[in-house]
Amino acid sequence: MNYPVWQLDVFGGGFFVILIAVFHVYIAHFAVGGGLLLVLAERKGLRENNPAILDHVRRLARFFLLVTMVLGSTTGVGIWFIIALLNPAATSILIHTFVFAWGAEWVFFLLEIVSLFLYAYTFGRMAAGRHQLLGWIYFGAAWMSLFIINGIIDFMLTPGTWPQDGNFWSAFFNPTFWPSLFFRTFFALIIAGLFGLVTAAWIREEQLRTKMMRFCSLWLLAPLAFFIASAWWYKAALPVEVQEMIFQRMPEMRSIVSGFLFCAPVILFGGLLLVLRLPPALAKTLAVSLLIVGQLYMGLFEFIREGGRRPYIIRDVMYSTSIRVEDEQRLQQQGILRSARWVRHREITEANQMAAGRELYNLLCLSCHAIGGPMRDIRPLTAGFTAEGLDAMISGMDIFYPAMPPFAGTPAERATLAQYIARDLNGRTDASEPLALTEKMVEVPVFDPKTDPFVLLAWSERGMQLVDDPGAPLSLFPEGTTLRAQLIRRDETPAVVTTGVSLYYRVEGGPAAAGQQPLAGIFAPAGDSFVATGIAVSPYPQQGGFDPYPVMAIEARDTNNQVIATTKLVVPVSTELGCRTCHGGDWRMDGRAGLADETANNILAVHDRLSKTDLQQRVNDGPVRCHDCHTGPGSAPGDPARLTLSAAIHGFHANYLRGRGAEGCALCHPSSPNGATRGARDIHTSVGLDCTSCHGTVEDHSLSLLKKEQQAGKARASVLMAHLRPQTVESVEQVVARSPWVNQPDCLNCHEDFQPPETDATFNQWTTDSASLFHNRTDDSGRLFCAACHGSPHALYPAVNPYGSHLDALQPLQYQTNRLPIGANRNCALCHTIEMEDEMHHPNMLRDFRNE
Amino acid sequence: MDPALLIPVPDAIPVPWGWFQALLLLTFFCHILLMNMMLGTAWIALASHFSKGGGTVVSEDLGGKLPFIIAFTVNLGVAPLLFAQLLYGQFVYTSSILMAAFWLAVIPLLTCAYALAYLYKYRFERLGRARLVVIGLVTLLLLAIGFIYTNNFTLMQQPQNWARYFDRPDGFLLNLNDPTLWPRYLHFMLSAPAIGGLALALYHRWRASRGAKDAEAQIRRGCRWFTHATLLNVLVGLWFVAVLPKGVLTLSTTTGLWLTVILVGGIVLTIPALVYGFACRPLPATVCTLTVLALMVGARSLLRTAMLAPWFSPADLPVQPAWSPLVIFLVFFVAGLALIAWMLRFTARATSSGEAQS
Repeated sequence: MNYPVWQLDVFGGGFFVILIAVFHVYIAHFAVGGGLLLVLAERKGLRENNPAILDHVRRLARFFLLVTMVLGSTTGVGIWFIIALLNPAATSILIHTFVFAWGAEWVFFLLEIVSLFLYAYTFGRMAAGRHQLLGWIYFGAAWMSLFIINGIIDFMLTPGTWPQDGNFWSAFFNPTFWPSLFFRTFFALIIAGLFGLVTAAWIREEQLRTKMMRFCSLWLLAPLAFFIASAWWYKAALPVEVQEMIFQRMPEMRSIVSGFLFCAPVILFGGLLLVLRLPPALAKTLAVSLLIVGQLYMGLFEFIREGGRRPYIIRDVMYSTSIRVEDEQRLQQQGILRSARWVRHREITEANQMAAGRELYNLLCLSCHAIGGPMRDIRPLTAGFTAEGLDAMISGMDIFYPAMPPFAGTPAERATLAQYIARDLNGRTDASEPLALTEKMVEVPVFDPKTDPFVLLAWSERGMQLVDDPGAPLSLFPEGTTLRAQLIRRDETPAVVTTGVSLYYRVEGGPAAAGQQPLAGIFAPAGDSFVATGIAVSPYPQQGGFDPYPVMAIEARDTNNQVIATTKLVVPVSTELGCRTCHGGDWRMDGRAGLADETANNILAVHDRLSKTDLQQRVNDGPVRCHDCHTGPGSAPGDPARLTLSAAIHGFHANYLRGRGAEGCALCHPSSPNGATRGARDIHTSVGLDCTSCHGTVEDHSLSLLKKEQQAGKARASVLMAHLRPQTVESVEQVVARSPWVNQPDCLNCHEDFQPPETDATFNQWTTDSASLFHNRTDDSGRLFCAACHGSPHALYPAVNPYGSHLDALQPLQYQTNRLPIGANRNCALCHTIEMEDEMHHPNMLRDFRNE
Repeated sequence: MDPALLIPVPDAIPVPWGWFQALLLLTFFCHILLMNMMLGTAWIALASHFSKGGGTVVSEDLGGKLPFIIAFTVNLGVAPLLFAQLLYGQFVYTSSILMAAFWLAVIPLLTCAYALAYLYKYRFERLGRARLVVIGLVTLLLLAIGFIYTNNFTLMQQPQNWARYFDRPDGFLLNLNDPTLWPRYLHFMLSAPAIGGLALALYHRWRASRGAKDAEAQIRRGCRWFTHATLLNVLVGLWFVAVLPKGVLTLSTTTGLWLTVILVGGIVLTIPALVYGFACRPLPATVCTLTVLALMVGARSLLRTAMLAPWFSPADLPVQPAWSPLVIFLVFFVAGLALIAWMLRFTARATSSGEAQS
């Protein structure tokens, strides 16, 4: 926020820090342990009165001097340079807080140089005791350097009480200071042994080589137990949340931690081998290999430490993005572009969107994510996301990816950043314009009000329904479509016909798929109605393409198999499931709908990563069926210990969709006004209501589901609820828990006593049971279903279908040549054959339709 | 764009700014002295290759000391950079980022120079004719590092030049448009052979005092380097003064007054330094030169104060007092210096020749 950003792109994400630090840290530890190794090796030579050892130590000292001076000191300054270039704000905190610690470290650095020069160049030219004293002074100074740097590095991981008291000493002697100091000290001894082994392996004289190899091997073996113990102590001293971060919440850490644990036995085994008298070539190979293992060991440790610190550069004080934790909320309100000093575009316009997005990327992403480079390259990480998906991802990235900080800008900045990444960096050209739809003509069945004796009414239980893609690796919606129908004999006293007739359904327009018979079947009697369940209607017609509204012809036949009534309806079935918004892949069918294998496989991979499952393995045995574990609608019960499918999916994704309205629903459901289905097509949509009017926002909707699961003792519900805040009511306590598909919004919440509504939103008042759901409910007579006259939910008459305004009103058009509910505008004669005066079906029915 | 809007907000310092100013001036003086000796030694070692007889002995002798001097120059560079970051962090971090690619290149350049200096020292005989290339490269690399430093420390005091970042955010900016850049750079780089020559003369004067017979020629050689380079540097210095921004050298502000007085003092003191140099009297020449160097370090600091005056003064820095770390540092500082003195003393006494040869 305060400083310009070095726009590195390919080498972004801290590449140069790693490049320099990997070598420096190794050499710096060698510089500490090596000092002790030199002086003790010299003492060994003196004690044994062995000039060959002393000569070797003299040469070792020169080698040590070269390595530590040329590489150690310059890379040390290099780290300082690079962190100031890449994170000047954090560097400034470290420099200002610890200036006198750095100053003291500089004094010890000076002491190291003087003592090491004197030690290395006075071999054999002064009394042994004094010469060794120089070595001891060197080691003391080097260890004090470690002592000081250790305090500062661990401050970044565990700043202790410093954020509260600002005290130098509480910052320096922070909670991990002592375990880390011991850990690094023992590590330094082991590394000294590793370097010592390499120099010893090149000794020509066999006896001396063996002697020195054994001596150096001891440096691996002797400190190892103490090293492991101090590592354990270090781990135990970490705050619980840091431990969780490293060992539980970051799946990518697992291999790093395993690698780190694996290195100890390798070094132990290698050290034991080198105690033996080995052929020179083997000894050299082994010594060099162990040196490389040591470098790896150190690198893995530092990676784990840095990983545990994420998403902070100084834990609880400053994020890796250089944003202070205390500034986060202010920035979320004011915006990054208005607050940062080094930006050109303070306001986002259509013209500067990409340039402003680039500036946001520089400020918020580049410190960890390279563009096309080796360090956490942003391109492959985001390639699967559309701009809208990325926007959603960024809004909740900190919740399920604890290494990521919360987004620190405004929603507009978030959208701009997402557009920049998706369009400019990933070259995506996802359509933002509405898809072109081809109008579909359906012949309305003929009805003669003078002669026809029956009125046949049919409806789909769901007016907006997602169905599985045949052949996809993932099955979410196995239940198929349920149709219901009622046959009414027209009369002054009409009758609901339930016997002596059979009802049939048949999909118009040929078979659903090549080689199949046209989809057809018979309804089963069910009280006053007939029902057909599990109909596998597909949105993919034989002639190809995507048709989310296939037409179903319904016939009623008498016992002589004579057709006595016919009607039609469209059956809403869609595969426009927006998973690809975030999970990659393209649409499966015609660029407009369908769950592609690539998308499904990514979902399985993410599920495996976050929930430690093996779905990617199981998919080899056939499609993974979500409802096997998560109980879904119309399926056999899954694992009762797990969340229901609805609670799991809504609860997880709501964390990425916070703060959104109906557009958030449309990212997954086929309700987008620009999509290929446009499933929200009923009268409520026409008058300006949307999904949230009845179901609540995504947060509200999810919380009501999760709360039920929480009450059932499912711990996962609480995890998913932690970051969700109700939008319609004040607190989670006020959210009324509900079961999916049973407790739904009730029409009568707004339409009290069937009157015009006084509110346009209802949330938190649910149907009490399945029987009171709209599609199961009947009128005051108890004989006629609400949906028989009003149509399917989400397609209530006069619904407007995007593929043709008549499609969702085929029955009103057939029976009353308008698109209104059956019997609207006092059309009682349709069934009763005469005008009626009693509101026998429900109050307020005998009047002109309000929203014609 | 208003440059003031670009200047980052500084963090609070733990003790009043005067402490850091004093430590900065003290350690920078030591660093610049060492830097001059380092580069001067490289210059002279390189030039010796072109003198009669290929300058073998002189080159080897001088080149052999180079790794030593580099080590101390680097070490003594750490402290002033640290204290400069306390006082001017918001400026120097920014300018470093603007020229980040070059600034970071200092590290590999320095590492190469250091490694080549060791190569020159330990493989002098084996290198043969390649010696010239090696010492030439060392000199070139050190000159390049100096150029990068001059760019950074001029850019940091010119926020009015920072907005170029928006057209070149990849860290490849330099401060080449600044008219003071080249004379400033040359002024620093030319003082190196002068002080390197003086150091050479002084070292051989010390050897002569201990009975070395071959020292006189080297004393003369050192003094020649000193006087010739200094004469040239006076001209460059005047060029530097001539291109300073208007209003910097003024008697109407305290900073300008002090800057003028110190500059004039430094120039005047150069005269006796040169006189002693021509007279081959390195000791008094050194006393004068060190004084001139100290004055120039002061002038450099005042120039920065004057340049930054429209934007900032270290006195504006917020202070969050924390004295105990300063006390601990001073204890370590004094004890460390005492320990170094003690080590040098007992080592000098213990070694047969009385000197630790490099």
